[in-house]
Amino acid sequence: MATPTHNVADNHGVTQEPSHQEPARAPSGTRRTLARGVLVFRWVALLWMSVLALTHPAGFERPGLAWGSIAAAAAWTVWLTAGAPRWGWTLWADLALGAWLLVASGLVVADGAVVAGRPLFATGYPLSPVLLWAVTRGPGAGLGAAAAMSIAAVLARVVNGTGLTEIPAEGLQNLAGAAVNFLVAGGAVGIVSRLVVRSAEELQQTHAELLVERERAARLAERESLAREIHDSVLQSLALVHKKGQEIARRGQGGSERIRPDEVRGLADLAGEQEAGLRDLILREPEPSPEGTASLRETLEKVARSVNGLRPTVSSVGPIHLEKRTVTEIAAATREGLTNVVKHANATSASVFIDETEENVTVSLRDDGVGFDYDEDALRARGKAGMLGSMKGRVNDLGGAMTVTSQPGHGTEIELRVPKSQAST
Amino acid sequence: MSAPGDRLRVRVMVVDDHPVWRDGVRNDLETAGVAEIVAEAADGGDAIERARDSMPDLVLMDLKLPTVSGTEATRRIIEDSPSMRVLVLSASGEEADVLDAVKAGAAGYLLKSSTSEELIDAVLRVHAGEPVFTPSLAGLVLEEFRRMAHKDAGDPDLTARENEVLILVAKGYTYKAIGEKLFISTKTVQNHVQNILTKLQLHRRYELMRYAIKKGLDRAPD
Repeated sequence: MATPTHNVADNHGVTQEPSHQEPARAPSGTRRTLARGVLVFRWVALLWMSVLALTHPAGFERPGLAWGSIAAAAAWTVWLTAGAPRWGWTLWADLALGAWLLVASGLVVADGAVVAGRPLFATGYPLSPVLLWAVTRGPGAGLGAAAAMSIAAVLARVVNGTGLTEIPAEGLQNLAGAAVNFLVAGGAVGIVSRLVVRSAEELQQTHAELLVERERAARLAERESLAREIHDSVLQSLALVHKKGQEIARRGQGGSERIRPDEVRGLADLAGEQEAGLRDLILREPEPSPEGTASLRETLEKVARSVNGLRPTVSSVGPIHLEKRTVTEIAAATREGLTNVVKHANATSASVFIDETEENVTVSLRDDGVGFDYDEDALRARGKAGMLGSMKGRVNDLGGAMTVTSQPGHGTEIELRVPKSQAST
Repeated sequence: MSAPGDRLRVRVMVVDDHPVWRDGVRNDLETAGVAEIVAEAADGGDAIERARDSMPDLVLMDLKLPTVSGTEATRRIIEDSPSMRVLVLSASGEEADVLDAVKAGAAGYLLKSSTSEELIDAVLRVHAGEPVFTPSLAGLVLEEFRRMAHKDAGDPDLTARENEVLILVAKGYTYKAIGEKLFISTKTVQNHVQNILTKLQLHRRYELMRYAIKKGLDRAPD
């Protein structure tokens, strides 16, 4: 039974390490395809066997046995077609059935009829097990199965009342011909099957190598972009922390100059910010965006990190992938909004919340600062619409709307609502 | 601060694999006089055992732990003693793990980069029975509920009011500010948040059950 842990492990294996598992599985897939080909042949043989039986000139001595055998072959064929057989005992059962059909061919007709040259009613069908053994187990197995069928063909004569030594020259020739047919079919199909499986294996190997190569390239690219980002922010800040730390320590040593607590706190903040940024960079699973789009959450998180003097929280109901142009514009508007908060609001906390509906994306910028009376006309009249006006312009260009809710002493909330699809503008 | 008057100090267990971090937390909480560190553990397995032995009021839990993960330890600790409260202290960028821990029964979540004051405040609030949410966690929880709503009808869904409250938490409003905005008491806001958490935990149980039935493992594994 599959246990849950098992399943989880399986999933990982398939998605993350396709290269090591595939080649082993491929040949059986190829063999199965070949076996399906044999199935087609089997149906034709069954049909032919039935036609021969129906048109048998002299009729059967033992019709019950004849039709019973045909019915068994039919049932077996249906089962092989409908079920998903595993090639263990099925192979042996198939071999037994083929041999039985040959022997039965000798039992159901009048004594001596087989040697007299009447065709065996089961000639075609017993070839199917030979082919099946050949495709699933290779040429050796094919030849073995062929040998078994040849013996059964001899037995058919014996049960038909003709002793081994009594078979006439012509009969012997027929028998030899049948045996050669079986052996050639088993051997040749086995060889072809082995070739096909090997080339499939090689193909799979090449494919796996290609995948590994591609994976490596992707990893390299990711590493590069990671290195770039670390260089831009983290390394710079570390250098700054190092330098300032040394400087403060030097001043402290002399005892002459005082060290201001906010200097040290600034240093700690800087280290803290970079720690958080670095963690985000390393721990957050990447959110691959579809071609031509970008993740609004990821973008606004970057914006929030880049605002000086404030650490706004960013929350979102998902990564939210939008057209790059839309994301860029929303990010610019958000940056303006947060800069405004830093400059004027005197806030202790600020946050960005991204929500979405079927048609719209909403970005809410909130702060707990001083707030103000939002009167667009009055602001414009005093020439103070600047940043807010620019934000509004960006949002309007995207076919959206901006609303400002604020009250002196109660903080500010600015909502940017933008339609997801830009088709209308 | 919603400190419950001059009650006894909160008995806290600190779980983190970094001794320096544990010392820092001990220092913060004991100097402020709000808590007494009754136990420390450096990995998840130890945490489960020591919680059983020392019965703290509150567990400060890191998520990235050796042996047993913080999420699993949270689940087992709450299974052992349902009244014990777990406050997750995690680094940023681990939000998905935090969501799992909250589903496993954690009563709150705080970033490791929070200040001492924020930590003390959170410990007191969680101890007082108040769920401690960060805006980003609220966003994740919203996302989770929307995902569930799309997938399985019949799962515990948020009421319109709960949804409203969750969005305001995601927007960074305090419970008090939310109460003022919606003309309800702070206590009611807390109740809504508590119900949201309960539904999330309930959903996890449904999910496990469905999974078990699907896999034919519907007999209890113990």
